[in-house]
Amino acid sequence: MNASLRLSVNSLRAHKRRFAGTFLAVFLGVAFLAGTLVMGDTLRAGFDTMFGNATGGTDAVVRSAEAITTPGESQGVREPVTTDLVSTVEQVPGVAAAVPDIQGAGQLVGANGEPIGGQGPPTLAGNWIDDPKLNPYELAEGRAPKRSGEVVVNRGTAEKGDLKIGDTTVLRTPDPVEVTVVGLATFGGEDGMAQVTFTGMTLADAEKYLTARPGEASSIQVRAGPGVGQRELVDRLSRVLPRGVEAITGQESTEENTDMISSQFLSVFTTFLLVFSGVALLVATFSIHNTFAIVVAQRTRENALLRALGASRRQVTASTLTEASVVAGAASAAGIAGGIGVAAGLQALFPAIGFPFPEGDLVISTLSMLLPLAVGVVVCLGSALLPALRAGRTAPLAALRETAVDQSGASRVRAVIGAGLAALAVSLTLTGVLVSPSLWLAAAGAVLALVAFVVLGPVASTTAVRVLGGPLARLRGVTGSLARRNALRSPGRTAATASALMIGVAVVSLFTVFGASLKATMDQTVSRSFAGDVAVSTPSFGAGGSGLSPRLAGALQALPEVDTAVGLGRGVAEVDGKGRALTVADPIALERTFDLGTVRGSLRGLGTDGIAITRTEAEKQGLTTGDKARLTFTDGEKDDFTVRAVYGRSELAGDYVITRAAWAPHRTQDSDTVVAVSFKDGVSTGAGKAAVEKVAARYGHPEVQTRDEYAQSSAAGIDMMLSLVYALLALAVLIALLGIANTLTLAIHERTRELGLLRAVGQTRSQLRAMVRWESVLVAAFGTIGGLTLGAFLGWVLVRASDGTSDSTFAFAVPPLQLTVVAMVGLTAGALAGLRPARRAARLDVLRAIATE
Amino acid sequence: MTVTTAPTKTPPAARVVDAVKVYGSGDTGVRALDGVSVDFPAGRFTAIMGPSGSGKSTLMHCAAGLDTLTEGASYIGDTDLGSLDDRRLTLLRRDRVGFVFQAFNLVPTLTVEENIRLPLDLAGGRGDPEWIDALIDVVGLRDRLRHRPAELSGGQQQRVAVARAFAGRPDVVFADEPTGNLDSRSGGEVLGLLGRTVRRTARTVVMVTHDPVSAAHADEVVFLADGRLVDRMENPTADRVLDRMKAFEVPSQTDVPSRSETPSRTEVPS
Repeated sequence: MNASLRLSVNSLRAHKRRFAGTFLAVFLGVAFLAGTLVMGDTLRAGFDTMFGNATGGTDAVVRSAEAITTPGESQGVREPVTTDLVSTVEQVPGVAAAVPDIQGAGQLVGANGEPIGGQGPPTLAGNWIDDPKLNPYELAEGRAPKRSGEVVVNRGTAEKGDLKIGDTTVLRTPDPVEVTVVGLATFGGEDGMAQVTFTGMTLADAEKYLTARPGEASSIQVRAGPGVGQRELVDRLSRVLPRGVEAITGQESTEENTDMISSQFLSVFTTFLLVFSGVALLVATFSIHNTFAIVVAQRTRENALLRALGASRRQVTASTLTEASVVAGAASAAGIAGGIGVAAGLQALFPAIGFPFPEGDLVISTLSMLLPLAVGVVVCLGSALLPALRAGRTAPLAALRETAVDQSGASRVRAVIGAGLAALAVSLTLTGVLVSPSLWLAAAGAVLALVAFVVLGPVASTTAVRVLGGPLARLRGVTGSLARRNALRSPGRTAATASALMIGVAVVSLFTVFGASLKATMDQTVSRSFAGDVAVSTPSFGAGGSGLSPRLAGALQALPEVDTAVGLGRGVAEVDGKGRALTVADPIALERTFDLGTVRGSLRGLGTDGIAITRTEAEKQGLTTGDKARLTFTDGEKDDFTVRAVYGRSELAGDYVITRAAWAPHRTQDSDTVVAVSFKDGVSTGAGKAAVEKVAARYGHPEVQTRDEYAQSSAAGIDMMLSLVYALLALAVLIALLGIANTLTLAIHERTRELGLLRAVGQTRSQLRAMVRWESVLVAAFGTIGGLTLGAFLGWVLVRASDGTSDSTFAFAVPPLQLTVVAMVGLTAGALAGLRPARRAARLDVLRAIATE
Repeated sequence: MTVTTAPTKTPPAARVVDAVKVYGSGDTGVRALDGVSVDFPAGRFTAIMGPSGSGKSTLMHCAAGLDTLTEGASYIGDTDLGSLDDRRLTLLRRDRVGFVFQAFNLVPTLTVEENIRLPLDLAGGRGDPEWIDALIDVVGLRDRLRHRPAELSGGQQQRVAVARAFAGRPDVVFADEPTGNLDSRSGGEVLGLLGRTVRRTARTVVMVTHDPVSAAHADEVVFLADGRLVDRMENPTADRVLDRMKAFEVPSQTDVPSRSETPSRTEVPS
């Protein structure tokens, strides 16, 4: 071992404590990264196995060839196939069995009267396939449905809804169907296909409730006879299938399903966790940099002596970097182990919260081990690089100087560069937001703004701490005044310490502001374009829920209190070659309950060949009233529709409106997403709502909401997103807290003699503790306020940029309550971070402190 | 004001009785104080002298309540320091004792005035403005009140420390080699200041030093060797003290390491 390496190792051994914070910061970041990767791989493998087990008996799937995919949807909508095809398929040599598979939306109502699921994953209903090899679900308890009204439910759903065999409940298809549970099923050995709910009915029931016309099925599942391969079976089937119908192998079908789950669920999940670890590592960077900067400052004399004795700059730099790499290596290695622990923990935790995590061993790939290791080492070494270079630049003469305290002030160069960056950031952002809307410009500006904040930190910290600490000095006397001046001592260090917290707080306030703005936007949308009195809807999110019975609108219209009740159905078609969602509704009633803005042309005479389009879509497609648009439906039929009206507002009514009559020939399972109701003059909202609720009760108890309630429930998904963001806050704050604690501990070490002096001349232990705590709070306050400012600014940029680049108008809102909570969390973190260093400082032996050189 | 009565007849401002201080334990234990009894009379300037390792710093630390005795007792006025917990000891130091250390006497973030007022501010009291005002004149730093310690010379810093030590009208001020880091001229100023303050304001000062010239500023010198009180000298002069000290430099003298001895500055910590 050479001398400089020995020095590094000895220094590490002697000052293990100093690196505890660095170690933890790297550890947490790496653990999350590794955990995310391992978890992603494990889930993917688990789903592969699960689908393999579940659908392994299916050798081929016959379905329509064309699918129409609308923007924002991963899986297209396919036209059903006719069940006549089953007999055709059965006659193909090598086919052992062929069964129709009907799939539709069906949401079960649990024992407590609340619908089960619907918050993201699909709620499915279908026919129970009696051939166990072709049925992806396996009967675990009870029996298969035989009579009408009997159903098999997957076990996870039954447990969630507290349903047992023999229980009678309601299945919303969306028309309420009374069903009796006769069996419980598993999927590929699990209680369900992730959180998808499944209800299996008899074939006759499925045809009756889930398809638009009898004799239709979503697909035909085929099993091959002995000695016939999947590929061969598909080839044989393809020869007899009519145009527009295709056969794919069972394996391809399984892969499609796995991909769907991956893209819908896994990618969201892993992206979230990756952002998590990204923020953690970014925050860690500041903590690490700070630790090394302080350690190097403290060791000025030692390094100067080494230089005086003949060590080269490079040797001194290398010895600091060696320390960094030992910490980085150890922390990253531990982080990887921790990551495997995180993944294992989640695997154990998920079933407990009702999410069936596919069983199987953790999948630990080389990539998911090496990548976090590399990231951890690079982050740690990168953060230590500047301090190490500074160590190398130590002048030999520094050995003779009295002070070794880091006195780095805010240089003028820094102020100038920072101001320049800030100006550039603001102008870029404003250009991207206001002048020529571009998300890229705005994003570049936002990143620059973050950099400018970090660069300007030391410059700002002096003023900020002076102002923030002003009242403190007045309130807490000399203790407060000392705390304030300690925080002012090294602006660079204070800023770097606060930066970690600043970034965490900024990320969270960015999302908080954005979330609040989205909510305000929805609120505004509803209050602007919803002209009705109440809305009937099934609260759902993502692909879940089953919608409303199309008959509900009619039933409500018949009420004496109701002036207009209009149901909005959903359809899909390709409009001039692009998949689009259609709103299927009575256009005249629509106009009465929704404010469509200015309407060119007339909604009155859409008929079966007319279509109404929003202005923005019309402009994009180059259409105007009187033009023809070609609509291609899922059944392959192409019809020319005449644009009869162009309307201004689309938020609730959608971009394309056609009549029910025009949709009827192409419809699949019918459902309305919302029924808007306006009351006759003189009917109070309360009375009207009660009447509507009474009728709605017969249609599966959908929710009846006033305009305000409707606006609020539209925004429910945002709260879910925000609660995830607050989990992120916790992690970022934890790491920032470690950073503050670390800096303080090191600073206290540096000020040992000063603290001893204070104690000698009569500072009590509690005064000393208070002094350290207040310093911590001041640093945290600086970071928190910086973070709030930056976050609010970035939130504003995001909202404005979204507003400028998308069709819908966004409102900007700053939620004072949530931001206050964020601020309190930041300050509390500061107070907590100061606890341990304060205790340590108070334990200081006065005599030793004075005597310490 | 001059002291006219015999020192033994005034009640002592501070005293130690049969003081024993052992560092470490068992065979490796070092007896830094080995049964010392000494009074520090009120209104007098007493110097503690002795060679390195004689226990003089330890004696001062124990008498001032900075350190605790292994055996025996130490008193400030009538207060037995051994009976006080840390908090009371701190309050006692704050209200009744003043300190001047060899170096690092001032808090670098505070101004001269704030440093002087520090014990009063910590106590939360206003102190006696006239007294403080008079002190500032005595130490001659009126034009430096708004300066930071780093902007002062070593001698000026020590004068601030002296002012701080007297700010709360303490019963006794302990000074530990207060001129150790100063050139002889600045050192002389600081010592003169200490002596003047004692005589003009009837305060008590106990000073540890190894320098006979410094000791000569005191009213009385007590000599320590090997943790024992070996001699006292009234109205010392530098020559007499030097002569007395030479008596200690007998070759047989064992060199007991003192805990508070400062390590050499350029030592590399491992």
